[in-house]
Amino acid sequence: MKRLRISEKMRELMTGYYMAGMQAECNAWITSGAPVELLHALDVYPVYPENHGALIGATKLGGYYCEFAEKNGFSRDLCSYARCDIGCVFAGTSPIGGLPKPTFLFACNNICNTVVKWYEVLSRIFKVPLFVLDMPFIRKELKDCHLRYVEEQLYDFISFAERVTDRKLDDAKLRDVVLKSMESVELYSECLRTAANKPSPMTCFDAFVNMAPIVCLRGTDHAISFYKEMKQELDERVKEGVSAIEREEIRLLWDNIPVWYRLKWFGEFFEKRNACLVADTYTNAWSGFKVSRGEDVLSGMAEVYTVSYLNIGMEMTAEIINKLIDLYDVDGVVMHSNRSCKPYSFGQYEIQKKLSVPSVIIEADMVDERVFSEAQVVTRLEAFLEML
Amino acid sequence: MKVGYLCTFTPKELIHSAGFLPYRVFATDRPINLASAYIQSYSCSQARGSLECALQDDFHAFVFTRCCDTLMRLTDIFEFAGKRVCNIEFPTKIGNVEYYVQELRDFIEVLREWGGEVNFERLMESLKLYRKLEEKLKQLFALSPDYETAIKVQQIEVRDAIKLVDEKIRTAKKEKEKPKVLITGSVCPYPKVYEIFREAGFSVKDDLCTGSRFFEYSYPDFEPVDLDSALKFIAEKYMNKSPCPTKHYEKDKRFEYVLKLAEDCDAVVFLLVKFCDPHFFDYPQLRERLEGMGKKVALIELEFPVVSFEQIRTRVEALREVI
Repeated sequence: MKRLRISEKMRELMTGYYMAGMQAECNAWITSGAPVELLHALDVYPVYPENHGALIGATKLGGYYCEFAEKNGFSRDLCSYARCDIGCVFAGTSPIGGLPKPTFLFACNNICNTVVKWYEVLSRIFKVPLFVLDMPFIRKELKDCHLRYVEEQLYDFISFAERVTDRKLDDAKLRDVVLKSMESVELYSECLRTAANKPSPMTCFDAFVNMAPIVCLRGTDHAISFYKEMKQELDERVKEGVSAIEREEIRLLWDNIPVWYRLKWFGEFFEKRNACLVADTYTNAWSGFKVSRGEDVLSGMAEVYTVSYLNIGMEMTAEIINKLIDLYDVDGVVMHSNRSCKPYSFGQYEIQKKLSVPSVIIEADMVDERVFSEAQVVTRLEAFLEML
Repeated sequence: MKVGYLCTFTPKELIHSAGFLPYRVFATDRPINLASAYIQSYSCSQARGSLECALQDDFHAFVFTRCCDTLMRLTDIFEFAGKRVCNIEFPTKIGNVEYYVQELRDFIEVLREWGGEVNFERLMESLKLYRKLEEKLKQLFALSPDYETAIKVQQIEVRDAIKLVDEKIRTAKKEKEKPKVLITGSVCPYPKVYEIFREAGFSVKDDLCTGSRFFEYSYPDFEPVDLDSALKFIAEKYMNKSPCPTKHYEKDKRFEYVLKLAEDCDAVVFLLVKFCDPHFFDYPQLRERLEGMGKKVALIELEFPVVSFEQIRTRVEALREVI
């Protein structure tokens, strides 16, 4: 696989991001689907335990840190992002030396209800306040009462954060952050969309590796300049007809969170068989966080964050995947049935039947390498690729 | 006509007033076969068992409340399996009554689409009947907890349920003083499990939704005057029900509730269904607090249908011995 130059930059950028966290006067631990713009506008440094979990998974230390949580009574069946992150708190360290102690916690259940429980645990450990932004599940239609409910909570959150940090939210600043957030999401989406080219200049593994800035730095100049540069590099590849893998014969879509400890392994597995995983549903989820340009920032925010990818019904999910199938013109879908992520995985059997191309389901876990069964995965994937 | 539901936050009064039988769906003794084609094996066996039940039995429709990630997805899965479904978005964060009243208004429309008829008088009648049932169950449990009855009443017409509990109260005898165990968890629809605790020499108290969480409410102190205020009554009633780990409360109300329940108990058993995330997240910290109070604590993990009651017996007897 041809590595993107930008991945090196990403490493630097994220190192800087983590370093800044150690010095930040006040920080909040926040879930990946929460409206981070509010934190940036208050100059509250956002800490992403999920991103931290992914990083630990990628360093193949998931099982090691999970065990610290398990020794303290947390079941092995719980989400491995939560387990390894709580494990790091007990261990007092992590591959990056642990996360800074939170000033407060901000959990939004538009990605799962697990984060509510996880953050309750953290709130008891650190004895810091927790704000839960409760998003109704939008199975079929987004109703006015849902939006009002969420919008009211956004106001509650602002009062809460102002009280805890003793700062005042500046409307102009919030607007500025939201504009930057929109711009970075747009640039990021453009990067992902370059994979529609044949051959694709990137794989979903490039997307996984380079998604951290859109998660953690959305709403800042860093994310904008990063994705601008990434776009440039991808455009160059497209212009020169450079393919991300040696020979692209089969194009595939990945569904679910990556198997972080096996990124390279999967990448090589598919490349060897001339198959390119050009895109995925996970990184595409962030391309949806486009707060509208409307007058009222908070109501726009309420809408965008309520209908996030994991907070909608299966019919809509299948529709989105089918659109991705068309956009990226893929021949098949590889679905990761992820033991750690029930809302992402349950329903895959049904979604599979609604897709316009063949698909295969493999069982694994995003961070906990102890449950990965290589032989089983290989058998399933090989049979699938042969069938294609 | 049976309308199935899985969670105790479901407004069964509304379903009943519409002319349906609110029927709580549990895992049964049947092995899980058909459900495996619809949902992965790392879903809890309450979800898989209920789905099995739904696929094999006759139901008019199913009502879901968002309680956990599994239930959230289960609604769609039931629908995909050809069932008529509705999901009510009961808030995860307890507090906003007004929002939930609107959800209930929309639910009435769904009940009408299903052929039900809801009006104020009928709803008040159902509210009264369920309150009566809940009070009778409290009375029965104060004498001697009867889980077989508590489970059965969730699957029969409320008027018959009241009669059944009345009969049980007449014949129930106040339990003798024995070491007391608090059983905490989600569901356990197998009465035999509770018998094991008794046979081991415990008197039993619970924090389960096949036990007291089905009937422990604090009722709002106003009398509804129209349909809308009746919905407000329901919203407040359910928000103030015995707290559940699937909800987020101010001031850690859920923990405080369990700790208070445990005060007069010698031991606490976490009777948890494998893969039940909300309970398993609470377990370590709650256990620590309970042990800090000097309680003996044990964790028993269950999968439905229960295959080995004797394994549970061994664990319970071992716990009894250390008291």
